[in-house]
Amino acid sequence: MDFKADLRDLRFQLFDWLPMDELLATGGFGDWDRESLGMTLDEAYKIAQERLGPGNEEGDRTEAQLADGQVTLPESSHDGYRTVAEGGWIGCANSPEYSGLGMPHTVGTAATDLFAGANLSVTLVFLLTRGVGEIIERHGTDELRALFCERLYTGHWSGTMCLTEPHAGSDVGASTARAEPLGNGRYQVSGEKIFITFGEHDLTDNIVHAVLARLPDAPSGTRGLSLFVIPKVRVQADGSLGEPNDVRCASIEHKLGIHGSPTCSILFGSEGGCEGYLLGEPHGGMRVMFEMMNSARIEVGIQGTAVAAAAHQAALAYARERVQSRRWSDGRDADPVAIVEHPDVRRMLFTSDAFVQAMRALALKTSYCLDRSHVEEGEAAERYAAYVDILTPICKAWCSDWGFRVTEWCLQVYGGYGYSKDYPAEQYLRDIKITSIYEGTNGIQALDLVGRKLRRQADAVRQLLGEAAGTARGLASDPTLGPSARKLGQALEVLGRVLTETPGKDDGPLRLVLNAVPILDMLGHVLGGHHLLEQARIAGDRVREIVAAKGLEDGDADAYRELLQSDADAAFLHNKVQAAVHFAHRVLPQVEALAAPIEAGETAAIDAVL
Amino acid sequence: MKIGVCIKQVPDTEARLRPSASGQWIDEEEIPFAINEGDEYAIEEAISIAEQTGGEVVVVTVGPERAREALRKALAVGAHRAVHLADEAYAGGDCWATARALAAVANRESFDLILTGSQSADVGFGTTGTLLASMLGWPHAWLVVGLEVADGSAKVTREMEAGKNELLQIGLPAVVEVQAGINKPRYASLKGIMQAKRKEVAELSPADLELDPSQVGAAGSRLEFLSVSVPPKGEGAQILEGDTAEVATQLVDKLRTEARVL
Ligand SMILES: Cc1cc2nc3c(=O)[nH]c(=O)nc-3n(C[C@H](O)[C@H](O)[C@H](O)COP(=O)(O)OP(=O)(O)OC[C@H]3O[C@@H](n4cnc5c(N)ncnc54)[C@H](O)[C@@H]3O)c2cc1C
Repeated sequence: MDFKADLRDLRFQLFDWLPMDELLATGGFGDWDRESLGMTLDEAYKIAQERLGPGNEEGDRTEAQLADGQVTLPESSHDGYRTVAEGGWIGCANSPEYSGLGMPHTVGTAATDLFAGANLSVTLVFLLTRGVGEIIERHGTDELRALFCERLYTGHWSGTMCLTEPHAGSDVGASTARAEPLGNGRYQVSGEKIFITFGEHDLTDNIVHAVLARLPDAPSGTRGLSLFVIPKVRVQADGSLGEPNDVRCASIEHKLGIHGSPTCSILFGSEGGCEGYLLGEPHGGMRVMFEMMNSARIEVGIQGTAVAAAAHQAALAYARERVQSRRWSDGRDADPVAIVEHPDVRRMLFTSDAFVQAMRALALKTSYCLDRSHVEEGEAAERYAAYVDILTPICKAWCSDWGFRVTEWCLQVYGGYGYSKDYPAEQYLRDIKITSIYEGTNGIQALDLVGRKLRRQADAVRQLLGEAAGTARGLASDPTLGPSARKLGQALEVLGRVLTETPGKDDGPLRLVLNAVPILDMLGHVLGGHHLLEQARIAGDRVREIVAAKGLEDGDADAYRELLQSDADAAFLHNKVQAAVHFAHRVLPQVEALAAPIEAGETAAIDAVL
Repeated sequence: MKIGVCIKQVPDTEARLRPSASGQWIDEEEIPFAINEGDEYAIEEAISIAEQTGGEVVVVTVGPERAREALRKALAVGAHRAVHLADEAYAGGDCWATARALAAVANRESFDLILTGSQSADVGFGTTGTLLASMLGWPHAWLVVGLEVADGSAKVTREMEAGKNELLQIGLPAVVEVQAGINKPRYASLKGIMQAKRKEVAELSPADLELDPSQVGAAGSRLEFLSVSVPPKGEGAQILEGDTAEVATQLVDKLRTEARVL
């Protein structure tokens, strides 16, 4: 089945909802304008469909193979990688000084939505490669920048991030990898890193690892970690490849999904010959690594969105053609209909669609704030940076968790065929699961949110929720969206109460850590409802314009239905309104249910004997 | 070497088409348009020849304002500049009138070679390139699956019946109408998309081309579209709806469960 995306929604969210003109008017993006950015989306979609999509199933079935320390990937992965790298997509939002293309991250994120939906496994290497380039550009010496940035942004070499060790997973501070100065400005690094995505592969001649390790006499915990750039093959002063470094892939994982993405155990310096460069300050590695992780977390949010979106498109196409059972309201002898006609199937499909739209909105908005934080100055830059800070864990965890559920609903749409490998539903479900685990589990994201960010960025939280309250008030008396806006208002009230009252309770800290994930979900639901209502307001206005332009009578239901049949754009806009109504009535009320145990101080999971 | 590529913007193959209110053409509102598929191969062929010989590629189209997007795409994949015949006077032309306008551009530009697709995906006459060649008095070849240009002539491989090919040598300038599949069209790189904005798109009126408005567009046409309609559903015929993949799945399903031939 060919990869399909809702390009219309992507365009709507980018160009009709987000204030893209304001962003471009800052002058921070060279010559990029609406037209050329729109064209990049068309091209990204073509590449996703023609070059990444076709290899998705093969990557899953063939799996990455390890032999003699070398990992090989199927030709289709090579083809997809090459096409994306040659098109300039890896460094699309990076600095032109190093052959990046300088476009907004927001649009880069939209491209990732297409690439990751078509082939999550291969798309991971783009994110890692870009990420390592970025931290070297920001924190590297001139020498490092000259050696690595351009080669990474253009995809000649690829990147990895190496934090995890057998005893250091969520607790990165427990890392034991070591580094010693060699006296020539370089360092000898030794240690084992596990679960390293694209730690070894045959897509590029060199692999540039960003590795956390501890210098002699370093303090314990994360404050004693330094960051090292370690190429798989040593690089000579002119950038050409020299001797192999002492970096070895010991094994690869056999896992539930993303089989096309090799997950490697990497031994650094097992023979005492692994040379690397220090990036940033001694013991300052975690701060730099966090920069890479933060961008990566936004991208993981979009991965969740992308795979869920692909699963939804596939399920929708299937439901339109699978004929089974008569319509519930038809007589006994009526002909069977396509399953898309059955209300329960419609509900699963449309809940999926509404969630995908809300997830996409959150991921794009987070990237948009990131762009603004880069191009604005002073107070505005700080405000946008604070938004990014708060939105990042929500984007990562909410989009990946609900994305997983979307793939489950979409599999359910197929019935037995969804469980079979003949259809892509089961692969989407397996592949997407990783997004709630890597780059910090969703549990850790939620703790970061309630433990740190809600406190530190209290003003930004108030502003974001204030915007949502503005939307709820503004639409309260809208004939179509009024009831939905009131649901948003109610959810905001409950959320506000939980956020202000819980910390002050006697057992406040326990309530917060116990309920970090539900609190993150409450925020995600509220932001999702807010964004969908904003979009519905724009879409509703457009529909009214179309109705007026076509000279249809207001309230002529038959003519309106016919319009929706014949005019794809009107149907799209109509559905945007329906998605907001659906989400507001079915998801926003869950906020109150999530609040109930928190407000009641229920702690059975703590009191139970486990 | 200066290569002209004549391209046409046509309704996207996935667009759902409906006859327009007048019944003489399709309703063009709200449907997506794209570069005619065959023409994408002509563009790629021209760009790769120009890369090898250091030449210039000029894309030319006759079409309304929306067709500028097709030109921009061609510029983004590597054409050097574009000529857009967008004047109202060109509207509604048949292949004769269109070829006349293109011939005027060819004369003005002194192309060494003109590439086109073999037929358009909308009306599918497959004659514009041939008419263009005859108006210019140039040799031409249709359904070309291989092209090598050297020293003022071109070796052309043409597709024949029964899987056979024919190899011809023709002198330049010539019109070569390529067949889909002759090459692998490249994707526009992000750099290419950025650069496309700065490339020249010249709009030329009939007067600029020393043509009388009566020679182009509907006025200069010999063919009139009387009506366009969806074929009537025959007895027992089923029309499968959906995109290609959906339709193919439905078809296989029907062959299996209804016709029971699979
Ligand atoms: C396919 C794949 C690819 C990966 N790619 C990379 C990579 O490229 N680079 C890299 O460095 N790592 C990578 N990882 C590792 C990944 O980031 C870790 O698996 C993840 O951070 C969790 O660590 P862990 O597996 O050790 O789980 P643990 O830390 O053991 O966690 C187990 C459970 O305990 C919970 N938990 C742990 N601590 C706390 C706490 N303080 N409070 C509440 N709950 C807690 C977690 O949320 C989780 O549910 C990858 C993993 C996989 C599976």
